[in-house]
Amino acid sequence: MNSAPQAGPAQIAARSDNFHRWRSRKDFLAKRIIGLGGLVVIAAVLLILFYLLYVVTPLFLSASMSQTAIGSNPDWAEKASVFLSIEEQQQVALRIDQGGTAEFFSVDDLGTIESIVLSEDGQAVATVANDQGDSGLVAVAFESGQVKLLQHHYKTDFSAGIEQRTIKPSLDFPYGKDTRELMPDGGISGLALSDSESELVLAAAGTGGRVRVEWSEKQENFLSGEITLETSVKSLNVDFEITAISISDDHRWLYLGDGDGRVHFIKTAGMQEIQVLQVSNAGISSMNMLLGGISLLAGDANGRITQLFPVRGEDNEYSLEIIRRFEGKQGPIERIIPEQRRKGFISVDTSGKLVIYHSTAARLVLQHQLAGGLPSALALAPRASGLLAINRDGSADFMVIDNEHPEVSFSSLWSKVWYENYSQPEYIWQSSASNNNFEPKFSLTPLAFGTLKAALYAMLFALPLALAGAAFTAYFMSPALRRLVKPTIEIMAALPTVILGFLAGLWFAPFLEENLAGVFTLMLVVPSGLLLFAWFWTRAEWAIKDYVKEGWEPVLLLPVLVLLAALSIELAGPLQYLFFDGDLRTWLNREAGISYDQRNAMVVGCAMGFAVIPTIFSIAEDAIYGVPKSLSDGSLALGATPWQTMVRVVLPTASPGMFSAVMIGLGRAVGETMIVLMATGNTPIMDWNLFEGMRTLAANIAVEMPESAMNSSHYRILFLAALVLFMFTFVVNTGAELIRQRLREKYSSL
Amino acid sequence: MTQQFNLQTEQQNQLPHQTAVTVTDLDLYYGSTRALQEINMVIPEKQVTAFIGPSGCGKSTLLRCFNRLNDLIEICRIEGQILLNGRDIYADNVDVAELRREVGIVFQKPNPFPKSIYENVAYGLRIQGMNKRRELDDTVEWALKGAALWDEVKDRLNDSAFGLSGGQQQRLVIARAIAVQPKCILLDEPCSALDPISTLKVEELIAELKSQYTIIMVTHNMQQAARVSDYTAFMYMGELIEFGDTDQVFTKPRLKKTEDYITGRYG
Repeated sequence: MNSAPQAGPAQIAARSDNFHRWRSRKDFLAKRIIGLGGLVVIAAVLLILFYLLYVVTPLFLSASMSQTAIGSNPDWAEKASVFLSIEEQQQVALRIDQGGTAEFFSVDDLGTIESIVLSEDGQAVATVANDQGDSGLVAVAFESGQVKLLQHHYKTDFSAGIEQRTIKPSLDFPYGKDTRELMPDGGISGLALSDSESELVLAAAGTGGRVRVEWSEKQENFLSGEITLETSVKSLNVDFEITAISISDDHRWLYLGDGDGRVHFIKTAGMQEIQVLQVSNAGISSMNMLLGGISLLAGDANGRITQLFPVRGEDNEYSLEIIRRFEGKQGPIERIIPEQRRKGFISVDTSGKLVIYHSTAARLVLQHQLAGGLPSALALAPRASGLLAINRDGSADFMVIDNEHPEVSFSSLWSKVWYENYSQPEYIWQSSASNNNFEPKFSLTPLAFGTLKAALYAMLFALPLALAGAAFTAYFMSPALRRLVKPTIEIMAALPTVILGFLAGLWFAPFLEENLAGVFTLMLVVPSGLLLFAWFWTRAEWAIKDYVKEGWEPVLLLPVLVLLAALSIELAGPLQYLFFDGDLRTWLNREAGISYDQRNAMVVGCAMGFAVIPTIFSIAEDAIYGVPKSLSDGSLALGATPWQTMVRVVLPTASPGMFSAVMIGLGRAVGETMIVLMATGNTPIMDWNLFEGMRTLAANIAVEMPESAMNSSHYRILFLAALVLFMFTFVVNTGAELIRQRLREKYSSL
Repeated sequence: MTQQFNLQTEQQNQLPHQTAVTVTDLDLYYGSTRALQEINMVIPEKQVTAFIGPSGCGKSTLLRCFNRLNDLIEICRIEGQILLNGRDIYADNVDVAELRREVGIVFQKPNPFPKSIYENVAYGLRIQGMNKRRELDDTVEWALKGAALWDEVKDRLNDSAFGLSGGQQQRLVIARAIAVQPKCILLDEPCSALDPISTLKVEELIAELKSQYTIIMVTHNMQQAARVSDYTAFMYMGELIEFGDTDQVFTKPRLKKTEDYITGRYG
């Protein structure tokens, strides 16, 4: 067969039509696919951003409240309500009237469920106090000065079917049905109650400056489980008219407010007044304890509320401090109601204007004018999501409160906050604790600080090594050795960070702790030793020099390096004895006051530095290697030494690429999670100390996300942390790209 | 070989000028390939010597031997001797950087640094440790005037060198080379990337420069060699075929090979 194809213009013309069509189609397709790919990437990033924003936004939405009138009960107008409480499901409420009758009623139709007469002899109720939190303990004081303790319970019953929830209220008297004589001569004007596992304390203020505190120690019979009370009474007479009384939950402090705007701070142990604090220039009109019973909220006749708590001073003595003030443009404060689950509270003034505050966030959350004016009784549901008011005309209103995240404000996230039990305002991240009264501390500042600290130390370790290595490899090293070195370093990038973190936490951290002096000696000895060796190498006339080709010298340094490292570790012991009394760590602690954590910034700096070195090295090396040979030749031809050529021509020309290498490395160090998680100790402290740990934004998210309740403030704040991280890397990368563009414009050659 | 040796002695006798470069028995290897064979020549001072020959004949390689730029190629190896003003430039005690300052080179493609015009010219001075503003200003002006570029750039000395045209860039590179006051300037096809007008300017410049510098140039352009140079060396396949006065080489070449090349029978 001799059918050799005839080459020639005819054939090309014959297939050109199809060929061109196919070619342009391929071109079209490739263009679209590549374009689509780019758009998908942008869309993915935007979707992540939008999802973060979607989760975070509710934190910053303002609270709302809607009021509906339920109805009215003509009996309630006659006998004014003095106490009101509503249970968790907001179906049943308890009301105590002036005549001494307790009544459970349905919130839906105000129908009475059960009515119990508390005062056998028809005495009128003077005042009522309830315990903090969920215990349901209520103290009712009668005008004679007698007090009765009762407790209300609610049982949820689904016996009528899952759809038919019924709440069964019950009232009992855990400390006996008898009344107790608290203020023998009557005239009781204020009452405070606090119940704990070991003690029950009732404090009463009477007209004429009388204060009586009934102290009941609980003793449990370990056979029958019955509790008996051993009661003692302490009394105090003051020379002012008491307008408000409160007692702290630990029963150590008693607070009395007076008509001149002062709060009297009294130590219950000896009933002695240890401090008088001028809180306001108007009289204190109402006081209450915030959840947890540590902070006192004092409302005055000017409509201002002041938060105070005792602060332990240098001398271990407590003094009452004004922590923050809340101004809601209210009239004289009539009542302050703390939330039962959060550090928020509600205040009502005499005109019925209601304001919701949050203490930690120092935030006015919501203002609302009650339609019926000042109600005779007001109850906040346990979840602070509903408010029941009984007005003076016997009608009732129910308000639905939508206030999910009062604890978030700019100041609570980023500024110093004076938390309860702290002696001064501080930046703290502590999202959860063992008890429910805990004040969550959501300061993102220590986390942002920790992120920067970890990144800074990592860059401190990585930058000199990576950039110098890149410059040497690209410019001085022999091509054959470079072909070996570059892929080896790049393969380091493939090392999973969890392995690096694991090694850093479990091997390097203990090693560093044991050999701290050795590692520092190494840092001094190795670079100077290598330089010394290099100097000798260029000076000495060694026969071996003939066998070492130019650009292969670094291989010679390897045995020297190992030798020097071993030497420094060995040398550390004697050096410590000579200069640091035997142990560098104890010396640092004693002489410089630097404390040492096993998992510290140095461990993280080295481990994370190790993780970012390959990235920085690889990109920077490419940039330096890419500098046209004509430029370096031109410089050499002018009589520049290789070093001058590198510093004055090659590096400036490669600077845009090197800059982006550093920025990509920084971006990685900031977002890195696994290494910091495993090697930092995760303590959210703010300290530049090299030997202390930190907690980064990324590690914090990884640690706490699994344990945070979905859609809680904590959950959303973690998302906010993610958003901050996202914005941070976004801003850094954008800035870096702009600078890189400018550099490239300046140094764009060829 | 004997023929060439005779040639050399003959020339030496003929040359009316002082000797700048003497090449003796130069062999150059790329790995195992011999790129230059037995080169012997004497290059006169303050004259223009042109190397001509077909592509790959080793002209540029030979040129780069004079300032040891071939050292940068790892597999390159040199045997023989090159004397610059009587000094062996491949001797052990030679400071290569100093040698390269004395022997400047200008490449085919202009290679200004990514710096301003001023800094480009000042670069060679700065690496010599000269940092006084007055001295730098004076030398930069002198060098730019020497390269016939001063009038065109004096108002924009601080602009990027990349803003210049190709011909201006090439003259800038020449200015940069003369700023360090070399003895000898090597030009490696300096005009092949330039348009005819720029070429003319560079050629005029070369003619001016030869009063102060020894100039050795490689060119593919026969007319250019004829126009600009005083002496011409014809190389072929790594060997120096003929070397002599330009007029003589172009009008009555001694060898048939030279004549064939010059008249365009191959190349």
